[in-house]
Amino acid sequence: MRDYIVSAASTLNAGGGSNGDNPTNLGVSDFSLVATTLDTNNAYKFMSGIEGMDRFGTGPVRSAYFMLSSTELQSDFDGLTGSGFLNQWNYPNNSSALPSEYGSVFNVRILTSSEAAVARGASANGQDVYYNTTVGKQAVTHINQDGYSMQLIYRDPYYSGMLAQNATLAVKFAQAQAITQDTAIRNLLSTRLSNLGV
Amino acid sequence: MAEYSRIATGTVTSNGGATNVILPFTPNYIQIINTTEITANAGGVTQAQWFSDMGQGAAAYVTTTSGTNASLFTTTGGFSIVQAGLSLQYGPVYQHTGSTDFSISKANPAEITTTTAHGLVSGNVVIFQNLYETSTTGMPQISGIPFVVTVIDSTHFTIPWNTNQTNYTAFNTATSTGNIGSWKQVLYPSLYVPGEAVISALTLGATTTVVTTAPHNFVVGQEVAFRIPTVWGPTQLNSLPDNTIPGQPIYGYVTSVTNSTTVVVNIISTGYTAFNTNQPVTGVKGLTFPQIVAVGDNNSGSNQFGYNSPTVYNGTGTTAVSTINGPAIAGAYINATYQGFIIGATISGTAADVIYYQAILSDLNM
Repeated sequence: MRDYIVSAASTLNAGGGSNGDNPTNLGVSDFSLVATTLDTNNAYKFMSGIEGMDRFGTGPVRSAYFMLSSTELQSDFDGLTGSGFLNQWNYPNNSSALPSEYGSVFNVRILTSSEAAVARGASANGQDVYYNTTVGKQAVTHINQDGYSMQLIYRDPYYSGMLAQNATLAVKFAQAQAITQDTAIRNLLSTRLSNLGV
Repeated sequence: MAEYSRIATGTVTSNGGATNVILPFTPNYIQIINTTEITANAGGVTQAQWFSDMGQGAAAYVTTTSGTNASLFTTTGGFSIVQAGLSLQYGPVYQHTGSTDFSISKANPAEITTTTAHGLVSGNVVIFQNLYETSTTGMPQISGIPFVVTVIDSTHFTIPWNTNQTNYTAFNTATSTGNIGSWKQVLYPSLYVPGEAVISALTLGATTTVVTTAPHNFVVGQEVAFRIPTVWGPTQLNSLPDNTIPGQPIYGYVTSVTNSTTVVVNIISTGYTAFNTNQPVTGVKGLTFPQIVAVGDNNSGSNQFGYNSPTVYNGTGTTAVSTINGPAIAGAYINATYQGFIIGATISGTAADVIYYQAILSDLNM
């Protein structure tokens, strides 16, 4: 699903960062831009927000779109603390936060994964380009065919060969992916400002 | 008894360079016979074999001249297997070194000249980086855009973009500040299609003709939307907002497919702002490219009235090839991932050669 979204969804290049590349690193204006774009396109947000509470160091979280980003951008997000980024730990109540949720900027809640799409050395200046896929509620789906979703198939050695030497393990699914509303999804492309850890 | 072995035979037409053969497995033994070169009898590669233990890119091959065979071995340009399952994979970087340089002309279409063999075939897709001749000149406007190439010869190819405009200056890694600049092949540009494509030219009028920088993989009847940032001109094509029916996106339908990079859309665009690719170097930072994207409930190119596998321009040549994944369903995207093997440039003969192959995946490799 990741790769078909990379291939099929339209892109916005970040321009709010300071590194002079195309796309630039993420600036807070890029989060505003992508959320505004989705709002203008009448996309649905996922969350109703988290109301502010009288707790030191916390702030309310807006209703939001979800953005799937690379873990390699987490230090860049930390660099936006104070200018719009709110770490998940600083939510008034993080019981509704998802396990992979890193934080939020304005109307975008950020999920990070090491499996997020990255085009290595593909920016104008030869830096890594990150696909920060931002989606509204009605943007994507998958279609199960023939009435089933996925089957995990295991056949023990007795059934997998005459000499019972090999077992068989497989996954089978009749599934197709679709973008249900193209106006409710954008790949916000960015580069990185901070150094990459090793 | 063979429990897991696979054997495949067939024919493939050489494209004069690296030629892909798509199979439902990756072989560990390959044999080819080039009947065109056998008939020519003029020194070409007439047959070749490969075992996986020889290593990727190797081949034992035979050339035939006036009926006399010569047996040869190569470690590069021979056979290699391919598993195209992940997007955003790239080939080796071509840049300034002690022995390599390349230049891009100020022309329409832009022509790239390399000082050594580029190794591409027509239909391959490339991207460029760091095209600054100086800090304020060059062609950084096209950096990051995927371009399908048309090969002229072993050291020249063109890309579908007009660089013969005032904001572009000729680029050469031999003279650029710091000798920066590079290009590389996008190995699998069309794993899921139809996708979004960058627009290189638009002809406005009673219909709208769209030229893309890489294969669009659209079919007649495909519903499409446009994403044109303001600096590129005809924002009236954008799917939102629709001033006639607020909240209703503006979409178009493909009425004809001219070729792999040109389609005609049924949007009347007479009087719209002209399309402008003459972008200034100063505007490169944060420049979003103009795009056309597939939308709607029949965005797969699938045949709703049959079950044929769709064909896809997958970046390996100039002809569309059948996927190995069977038909898509209407409304979904085609899974055009593939695997198989590549007949490298050393042994693939010349363009249009007919090559017979046998590929085997054996049970055991001792």
